[in-house]
Amino acid sequence: MTPQKTAVDGDWHRVHPASPFVRGWVALVAIVYFFGRDTFERSLQGRGNIGAAINERTLWLLAGGGVVLLLALGSFVLSWYFTRYQLAEGYVRVNTGFLFKQQRQARLDRVQAIDIVQPLLPRIFGLAELKFEVADAGHSAVRLSYLKLGEAKQLRATILGRAAGIADGTETVEVPEAPEQVVLYIPPGRLIGSLILSEQSVFIVLSAVASVMASVLTESRAFILYLIPAIIGLGTAYWRSFNKGYNFTAAISPDGIRMRYGLLDTQAQTLPPGRIQALKVTQPPMWRLLGWFRIHVNVAGYGEHHRSEGEHRTMLLPVGRKADVMMMLSLVLPDPGIADPERVFTAGLTGLDSDAGFVTTPKRAWPLAPLGWRRNGFLSTDTALLLRSGRVWRKLVIVPHQRTQSMALHQGPLDRLFRVADLVLHTTPGPVAPRLYQVSTELAVALFDQQAASAREARKRQTSEQWLAQLPPVHQVAGTASTPEEKNHG
Amino acid sequence: MHTAAIDPPGVEWLRVSSKYVTVRLVEWAIRNVILVAVVSLPLLFVQLGWWTWPPLWFAVALPAFFVVLAVWRLALIPRQVRAIGYAERHDDLLIRRGIFFQRTMVVPYGRMQYVDVAVGPVERILGLCTVKLHTASAGTMAHLPGLPAAEGARLREQLSARGEARLAGL
Repeated sequence: MTPQKTAVDGDWHRVHPASPFVRGWVALVAIVYFFGRDTFERSLQGRGNIGAAINERTLWLLAGGGVVLLLALGSFVLSWYFTRYQLAEGYVRVNTGFLFKQQRQARLDRVQAIDIVQPLLPRIFGLAELKFEVADAGHSAVRLSYLKLGEAKQLRATILGRAAGIADGTETVEVPEAPEQVVLYIPPGRLIGSLILSEQSVFIVLSAVASVMASVLTESRAFILYLIPAIIGLGTAYWRSFNKGYNFTAAISPDGIRMRYGLLDTQAQTLPPGRIQALKVTQPPMWRLLGWFRIHVNVAGYGEHHRSEGEHRTMLLPVGRKADVMMMLSLVLPDPGIADPERVFTAGLTGLDSDAGFVTTPKRAWPLAPLGWRRNGFLSTDTALLLRSGRVWRKLVIVPHQRTQSMALHQGPLDRLFRVADLVLHTTPGPVAPRLYQVSTELAVALFDQQAASAREARKRQTSEQWLAQLPPVHQVAGTASTPEEKNHG
Repeated sequence: MHTAAIDPPGVEWLRVSSKYVTVRLVEWAIRNVILVAVVSLPLLFVQLGWWTWPPLWFAVALPAFFVVLAVWRLALIPRQVRAIGYAERHDDLLIRRGIFFQRTMVVPYGRMQYVDVAVGPVERILGLCTVKLHTASAGTMAHLPGLPAAEGARLREQLSARGEARLAGL
C-alpha cells in the first residue's frame, strides 16, 4: 500500500497491516509475560530449562503460550484482512469482522466533522486514525484505524473534496490537500495560565484552606492524608487538559476550520463550515483579570461520545483574548447578519443593559435574578440568535437560525408573577444548552413566533449540503479575521 | 378554552382525550401506593419497637406529608390533562402542557427525524396512544399522550408526510 494508491472510486482498501498489533500490543505483552515468566526466571536462577532433564512444566507452559500467542496473532491478521474500506458513489463503506461481519456506510455529503487522531504509540510508528462524524450514521462515528499519516491526510482531503462538491470521484489525479492558513496559535504559557486560573484551581485553593483550617481546629494531621487522592485526581485532570490543549493551532482552509493540538497524543480536527449547531463563549471570573475567554461548540456527533473525549473535541478555543474570540466568531459565522459585529459581540461578551441593542430582563423581574437581570438578554440578527447571560460567569450563546431544531417557552409560577418567561432552544447534544432567561412574556412570545419563522426562512435558503458555493474565498475570510487583531495590537 | 399568556396568539388548540385522565390515575395510584408504603416503614418499625429513632411525631408526619402531596397531585390530574394541547400549523407542530409550570413547544416538520407511536397497557385498554416526535436534539422531548388511536395514526401519517415534504439537513 503506497500513499500514491489512494482510494479511487470503487476500490476496496485495507488499513495498515500493523494496526491490530498497535492496538493490541498490551494483550501480546501480557501473553508473553504470563507464559514466559517462569522460563525466564528459571534461566536467571541458573536452573537450565533445556538439557538432560527437560522441565516438564516449562514445556507445557511454552507450548500453551505458543498456542495462545498464535491464536492472538491469527485473529489479528484475520481482523486486519477483513477490515476494508471503500469510497464510492458518494458513500464511504467500512467492513469489519470475519465471524460477525459488519458493514458501516456513511454519506459523504453528511460529513459533520473529520478528525485525524494520533495516540502516542501509533504516532511513534507514523500511523494515524481517521474518524468522522456523519449526521445520518446513527450514534457512532466511522473510524479507520490505522493508516499511514500521509494516507490519512490524503483520504481526508478526498472525503472533504467530495463532500464539498469539488471532486466527484471521476477524477484521475488525487485530490490535493486544501491549502491552509494558520490564524491562531496558543502559546503553552497562556495555556498554563488558563489552567492555573481555572475553576478547579479555585476549588483546590478553597479545599486546601478548608482542610488546613480543619486540621488546625481539630489539632489532627489526618486531613492532609485525605487530600492525597484528591490531589492525584486533580493532577491528572490538569495533566489531561495540558496534554490535550498543548500547541493548539487553528487554521482555515476551503474545506473548513482545522484545529490541531496535543502533546503526547495529537489530534487534528476539521470542521467543515456551517456544521456548528451552537456555540458559547464563556469567561470564568478569574479570567476576567487577563481578558480571556473560551469557546465551546455543539457539532452533531461530537456530543454522543465519551465525556472526556468529547470535552476537548468541542473546544473551539481553549483560551484566547477578545481578538481571538472575534476572529473565531468571524470564521464560524462568516455572515453575522448585523452591521457592526464587533460592537455587538463585545456587548454580548462583557456588556450590560441594552448596549448594542440587547433586550434584557425587565426591571420588574429583578428579584428573580438580582445579579443577572441587567445581563440576561437576547439579540436576534438576520442569521443568528445571540443569548447573553451570567454576571459572574459570563456567557454568550450563539445559535444560527437554520440550526434550531425545536424550541420551547417555559413559564413557572414565579415567572408568571413577574410576567416573564424562558425560551429554550433545542440543539444537537453537546456542551451548549441555549436558554434565554427571564425575558418579558410579550417579547418572549413574539420572539418564539418570529424565531420559528426565521428558522424556516434560513432553512429554505440553505439549499445544498455541499457548502463550497456558500463559502467566501479564503483570502477574504482571512482579511476580515485579521482586522480586530490589528486593532487590538495597534 | 383556557389559553395561557405564553401561548402564541390565534392558535386553536386541540385537546387530548379525557379518557387520558384514567391513565394518569392508574399511574398515580401505583406510584403513590408504593411511595406511601415506603415512607410508612419508619412508623411501623417505631410502633413495633424495633427503632427508637425517629420520634413518633416525625414517623407520623412523614407519611402524612406524602399523603397530602398525593391528594394534591390527584386533584391536579384532570386539569393537567385538560392543559395538554397541540396544534398543527402550516410549517410546525405546537405542543403545550402544564398549569403551574407551563411549556409551549414548537417542532418544525422539517426537523423531525422520525415519529413514534407508543401504547402502554392501560392506554391499550382505553384505546389511546402516545405520539413521540424525535429531532436531532435530545432536548426535544415532544410527547403527545392520550390521543385516541385513530387520531394518533392520522397524526403520525400527517406528520411523516409533512416532514418528508419539508425535510432539511441538520
